[in-house]
Amino acid sequence: MIFNTLSYYFCFLIPAAIAFRLATVRVRPWIIVLFGSAFFLHFAYGMAGVGGALCLLIFLWESLTSRLYRPGSRWCLLGLTQSLLFLGLFKYWNFFTGLLFFHQSNPLRWQGAFLPLGISFFTFEFYHYAWDRRAGKTEAGRLSEYLSFILFFPTMVAGPIKRYQDFLPKLRATLGDWNQDWERGATRILCGLVKKFAVADLLTAWTDHLNAHDLLTADRRMLPVWLLAYGIKIYADFSGYSDIAIGSARLFGIRVPENFDWPYGRRNIQRFWQCWHISLTRWLIDYVYIPLGGSRVARPRIYANLIAVMLISGLWHGAGVHFLAWGLWHGLLLAGQRLWRQWRGEPSTAPVPVFSSRVLTFVLVNAGWAFFCMDLPTAQIFFRRLFVG
Amino acid sequence: MKLETLRSSLEFLAGSRDEAPTLLTGRYGAALRCCVWIAAIALIYAFCGQSSKFIYIDF
Repeated sequence: MIFNTLSYYFCFLIPAAIAFRLATVRVRPWIIVLFGSAFFLHFAYGMAGVGGALCLLIFLWESLTSRLYRPGSRWCLLGLTQSLLFLGLFKYWNFFTGLLFFHQSNPLRWQGAFLPLGISFFTFEFYHYAWDRRAGKTEAGRLSEYLSFILFFPTMVAGPIKRYQDFLPKLRATLGDWNQDWERGATRILCGLVKKFAVADLLTAWTDHLNAHDLLTADRRMLPVWLLAYGIKIYADFSGYSDIAIGSARLFGIRVPENFDWPYGRRNIQRFWQCWHISLTRWLIDYVYIPLGGSRVARPRIYANLIAVMLISGLWHGAGVHFLAWGLWHGLLLAGQRLWRQWRGEPSTAPVPVFSSRVLTFVLVNAGWAFFCMDLPTAQIFFRRLFVG
Repeated sequence: MKLETLRSSLEFLAGSRDEAPTLLTGRYGAALRCCVWIAAIALIYAFCGQSSKFIYIDF
């Protein structure tokens, strides 16, 4: 819930934004730390009890170890490793140990497993900081500044994934016009809430049918309609969430990265990914794709890199085989698009091919949502019923 | 109206753009922004009861 609760606005966002704007530059980070910690304790406790709330210690540990990071230092490797360990332990332990004991009961299963609030996002920010400190791409900043970066609660739970070198100057800068920031921020929040309540939640009535029983019994002509509804729902839901996060940050006078830029209706799958969950795409390019060699390697390696990145993206979205299948689908689409481009050259700018490629991209992206929102056997049923009957 | 103008107008009305397109400057633009706020609050009020959690929260 969080962004659609009154407590978020009246206990955290508005008091924190007012206090932040009234404080001096040196005190501002501590305002964020104070409210960010309270925010995490309140909502993490609500979601996962005492264990969830205790995960605040992860932030404290990370901020202390971050003081050791220097350009070229091995301590940064420790930072990278611990970020992946936090994520791996909480999110993937049961998934990977389950794969080890395939079809048998898993003796290593963590029965009380829970996901700390926002772990997929804050560990990516930890990783980015350690990596960029090692590469000398960012300054260390003060402890309070780093803590405020990782505890900045509007983006803590589900992004947009920030960069320290972008955030720091905004934290130190003279704040912009209060009236304009609040008018723009509040408008953005309202539009985000409309997307969530009046579009995403309304479509749940259709997307709830994406289960094995309904897929087997319903009129097959309804299947693409339900999947299309899911495509619109996830866009409205997540872009609405991002609007609220960006609007909330704006109340502080801080601009965080955009996450969406009209992704549906793009000409090809590469453009789609440049406009969908932009902060994640950029993170994956900078910290996975380029370290793997990016586009400066032999062609087969480029295709392998694209598929590897999208598999990682799929796994990041959830610890399940169907998320891997979704990542593989997009990896194959990206590799296929590159092959097509090499074979056919630059795309035509005539209206009919442009329109056709937009429609085709939209259809392929929406087909991929089947792997995202259903487990693999159910997605199989979906496609079998859709194409065979 | 050009597609680009429509896009920038929508982005401005939704709060994601700071510079108002020429179409939305002046008294007419302010009135339209008020209408957007009223419509948004009405829609939120009408639909907020059925809220479910955000998809990306458990990620």
